[in-house]
Amino acid sequence: MVTGYFRRAYSSFAAHVLDIPPRLLALLLFALLLSFPIVNPPRSILLILTTANLLAIFATSWDLLVGRTGQISLGHALFFGIGTYTTGLLFSHLNWPIWVTVPLSVLVGFLAALLIGFPCLRVKGHYLALVTMAFPIILIGLILYFKNITGGDAGIWNLPRLFPFLPYEQQYIAEYYLTLLLLFASGIILYKIANSKTGIVMVSILDDELASKASGINITKYKLMAFAISGLFASLAGSVNAHLLTLRVANIASLRLDLSFLVIVWTIFGGLGTIYGPIVGVYILQILDQYVLTKIVDVPAPWHYIIYSIIIIVFVIKWPRGLARFVTDKQEDLEEARDIDERGPKIWKRYKKKEKK
Amino acid sequence: MIDAEIIKSIIIYGAMSGGVYALLALGFTLIYGVSDVINLAHGGLFMIGTYIFFVLATPYGGFQIELLWALIFAAILVAILGTAIFRLTVHPIIEDPLSVMVVTISIAIILQESMILRFGSGRQTVPSLAMGLATVWGVKVTYSSILAFAASLALFAILLTFVTKTKIGGAMRAISQDREVAMLMGINTERLYMLTMGISASLAAVAGILIVSSTTGVTYPQVWPQQLYMSFAIVILGGLGSIKGSLVGAFIISYVENTFVFAVDPIVARMLDMAEGGSLSGAVIMATMLLVILVRPKGLFGKRVELED
Repeated sequence: MVTGYFRRAYSSFAAHVLDIPPRLLALLLFALLLSFPIVNPPRSILLILTTANLLAIFATSWDLLVGRTGQISLGHALFFGIGTYTTGLLFSHLNWPIWVTVPLSVLVGFLAALLIGFPCLRVKGHYLALVTMAFPIILIGLILYFKNITGGDAGIWNLPRLFPFLPYEQQYIAEYYLTLLLLFASGIILYKIANSKTGIVMVSILDDELASKASGINITKYKLMAFAISGLFASLAGSVNAHLLTLRVANIASLRLDLSFLVIVWTIFGGLGTIYGPIVGVYILQILDQYVLTKIVDVPAPWHYIIYSIIIIVFVIKWPRGLARFVTDKQEDLEEARDIDERGPKIWKRYKKKEKK
Repeated sequence: MIDAEIIKSIIIYGAMSGGVYALLALGFTLIYGVSDVINLAHGGLFMIGTYIFFVLATPYGGFQIELLWALIFAAILVAILGTAIFRLTVHPIIEDPLSVMVVTISIAIILQESMILRFGSGRQTVPSLAMGLATVWGVKVTYSSILAFAASLALFAILLTFVTKTKIGGAMRAISQDREVAMLMGINTERLYMLTMGISASLAAVAGILIVSSTTGVTYPQVWPQQLYMSFAIVILGGLGSIKGSLVGAFIISYVENTFVFAVDPIVARMLDMAEGGSLSGAVIMATMLLVILVRPKGLFGKRVELED
């Protein structure tokens, strides 16, 4: 009976994961990442990957909002920054422990996204994109103005560690695993949402808002839902990021324009609307940015950014649908070709027979 | 609390900066109106314009030609650069707004970093267009800001006439109203895009030179994000793609900014017992823009299309 259960579990696993190459790739990537600390990599790579895990959560949350409902947000760093600052402020003013501040900042991010989603319902397309850009600018202005509360330009330093009870060397590895698990969990949740009925309804809003309204879909609800879910995961990434080792700071870098734009770059690079694409995009581009261009090639800073930007421009022009889409398209092409090879001659024969008659 | 002096300076300074902001936003809104491209490199072109002006007009580059010629050369060079960038990078992906944003912001970063590479990240002094102070209605204003104000209004008027009266301008308006029909009527959209991009880029350069030389007098590689925000706020407030909107929006934004800086900020700072600083003015501008957008989702003069998109 036990073997039967295992066989059933395996066959369902095989059908849902192994038979679908992108999912298999994702699984392999996850296994690779999970076993990565075993080979005892240098700490710098581990730190890059730890940050990349959180940024990948951030990017997937953006992808759910934009790739599914088509509400382009150019100010997504707002939610990241809200997460960062909520946990920072709760710590510095109330001295609450980390396991209270992080969930609370996720909640605050969720509520803020709902609040901001409301006015954003009124605007569409390019207007929405540029309007969302305004929110982080407003928040940065307020943070810099109320210096005595927020710490102003310097920010809030010395936030508590995530794993203070572990020896210092092991904290890096523990943080790496924590962020990886968070990424895995939120990736699966977001993927499930995106491919559930809710996600399909969201895509219908992206495709034709008027038609989906006419079919009796409550557009307001779904748009707000996308905003809220997206804000929740973005603020999760932001709040955990504030507690990572080496910096442990909440400052306006988490709200800057760079982050809002990098998330678009990662997502477009990986594949918009795929949820798993942005994760791949974040890993590849972060490793390119932080490791290849700084540790291996070691070009001076201006050249670093120029090369990075040129790579992105060339990539976006060459493959505007992104890396993940490029791979799946190739795979579909192959399957189609195989199908034609198998089916083609038969049809041809039948056609010939008909002609003879 | 607020005396006549402050009100006078708000009115005068608001008008002065409104004029140059209008020029800055006009370039942004023109290229959007014609080709639907949100050109995030607009600020980058602004910055490049100021640097070319700096090289041509100061002893640094060894040219030191007359300021007017330097301005014209800078406008032409930036127009060529902008058109080349548009043709090479934006044109292949013009259908996809997100890719356009990614590409144009990358270009802005490339421009910024290449300036850091060549000139360093420090501040460079840009010569002022005219020396001396004038007193307008009891408020001291530099000649260069009066000149910038007059020049931008004149340029604005010229462009408005160009767009409304000439045949090419008519083609631009036709494209912005309905691209497919305009193409069917035999308008060469690609050439028109390039022309518009050239005009837009040169406007960015001229606006940049006028703004920088009449206000702070220095340029640096990271000067562009703030100008980009400013043109966003103006263009959204006035309505994307609307020329009239960019003029009205520029003056609204400029008056809001000046009112805040001269009247509100000192009072609030006194009330809250804090040092006054310009850090909130960006937030106030954005909040104004949001308020207008909440009442009129397509801006003041934006294209109002019901139901569809």
